[in-house]
Amino acid sequence: MIVIDKLCYYSKLRYVNVCEKFLYALITLLFCVISRSVLIAVLVFIANGILTVRKGGIPLSRYGRLMMLPLVFLLLSTAAIIVNFSKVPLDAYAIPIGNFYITGSRASLVFGSQLILTALASVSCLYFLSLSTPMTDILTVLRKLRCPEIVIELMMLIYRFIFVLTAIASDMSTAQNCRLGNRDFRTSCKSFGALGSTLFIRAMKKSNALFDAMESRCYDGTIHVLTENYPPKKNEITAIVLFELLLLAITVWRFVI
Amino acid sequence: MSKKQKRVLSLASVFALIFGVSLSANAMHIMEGYLPIGYCIAWGAVCVPFLVAGFFSIRKTLNNNRKSLIILAMSGAFIFVISSLKIPSVTGSCSHMTGTGMGAILFGPAATSLLGIIVLIFQAILLAHGGLTSLGANTFSMAIAGPLVSFGLFKLCQKLNVNKRVAVFIAAAVGDLFTYCVTSVQLALAYPSEQGGFLASTVKFLGVFAPTQLPLAILEGILTVIIFIGLESFAKPELKAVGYIKEA
Repeated sequence: MIVIDKLCYYSKLRYVNVCEKFLYALITLLFCVISRSVLIAVLVFIANGILTVRKGGIPLSRYGRLMMLPLVFLLLSTAAIIVNFSKVPLDAYAIPIGNFYITGSRASLVFGSQLILTALASVSCLYFLSLSTPMTDILTVLRKLRCPEIVIELMMLIYRFIFVLTAIASDMSTAQNCRLGNRDFRTSCKSFGALGSTLFIRAMKKSNALFDAMESRCYDGTIHVLTENYPPKKNEITAIVLFELLLLAITVWRFVI
Repeated sequence: MSKKQKRVLSLASVFALIFGVSLSANAMHIMEGYLPIGYCIAWGAVCVPFLVAGFFSIRKTLNNNRKSLIILAMSGAFIFVISSLKIPSVTGSCSHMTGTGMGAILFGPAATSLLGIIVLIFQAILLAHGGLTSLGANTFSMAIAGPLVSFGLFKLCQKLNVNKRVAVFIAAAVGDLFTYCVTSVQLALAYPSEQGGFLASTVKFLGVFAPTQLPLAILEGILTVIIFIGLESFAKPELKAVGYIKEA
């Protein structure tokens, strides 16, 4: 099943007011991306680590493994930024190959490391949000932000169906493994194709059945759900405001100098 | 489309042009926080007209038939699940399909654009693939550019009376390749190379991701064909329901 979704229901921060968490994550994320400063990145990274692991109670090993997820993209694309092919060597390093150099400048090395830190800090913001807030709560925020009703309804249904289909898919792949599917490359291609097409058929069957069930319970095009409300706490708001002001101060200070 | 809808759409297009062009003058998800803020906004703006068009198209089908909301939602979940399944790979590394080519062939590019952005939001929040700030750029490459190319190629192949399986293969594989090229261009625009500028940078990004993306595109084509063979033999009525087979 989907690990992040499971973990966020266990989080101790789950019953904190949704808007608080959403705004905190979003504003912090924006500061990270706009300022691109190492100081802010380190601050945010530590703050989110403490919030998610200490306050939220997410196991540190899980958090660490999740932080590793985007590493491949990060390393590959940063490599493309700091490595250059050119006829003239640049100042940081240069390895000659024939007429060319594999080379890079000091500025780009600094820039690259800055980029890595910013990206990691931003990912920690995203993880703070997704490891403390269930999807349904995020949807209530979107509703408050006047997102079109159709889109929200679609998102709610898709969220529900993702789990239905994931369960079906995992059952099917267990069955395939029992019957000597997925043994080598050829059979796994065949198995995947069978799984994909059967999944589609099952999805359509399920949706027909679901529509009948909803129709018989007076479905008229809109789904009404009650939202749980957790009032914001004063000390939490103060802490968030202070933290964001600190980030703002650092950003302004960096731009002035 | 009504007059009001047209006006909203053209306004959105103008908005996109102003923000998108002014900046560009000077299965591969771009990760959270990797793009500069200006590019995040610009790519988001470029997506807006497509999303508005997708929204109107979906609302029109919903007004005609309420049942299609459920089918659309199932389709979105299907794209998500297909793209989160591990696919067989030669190298042993863990890779995923984009699923957008298939989405475009099955549901059409307009619906895929809106479903695509929803799937991308879920992927960012539930799987940490991509991110919220890079949502615009990812939406453009995966939910708009790729599906449009896939859909166009598929229709073109049908016009030219190419074998349907070949058509599906070409559409899925080239759509995937195109997504990867667009992502490389997006990264190169944000980070032009010190030596040689934007073009050199594009080549570098293309080169860095080629070893993983080229086999993946071919594999995606093959798997999509296998899935479609299965669908055409077992699921004619369902395919008709989503509009893949037009006439009875």
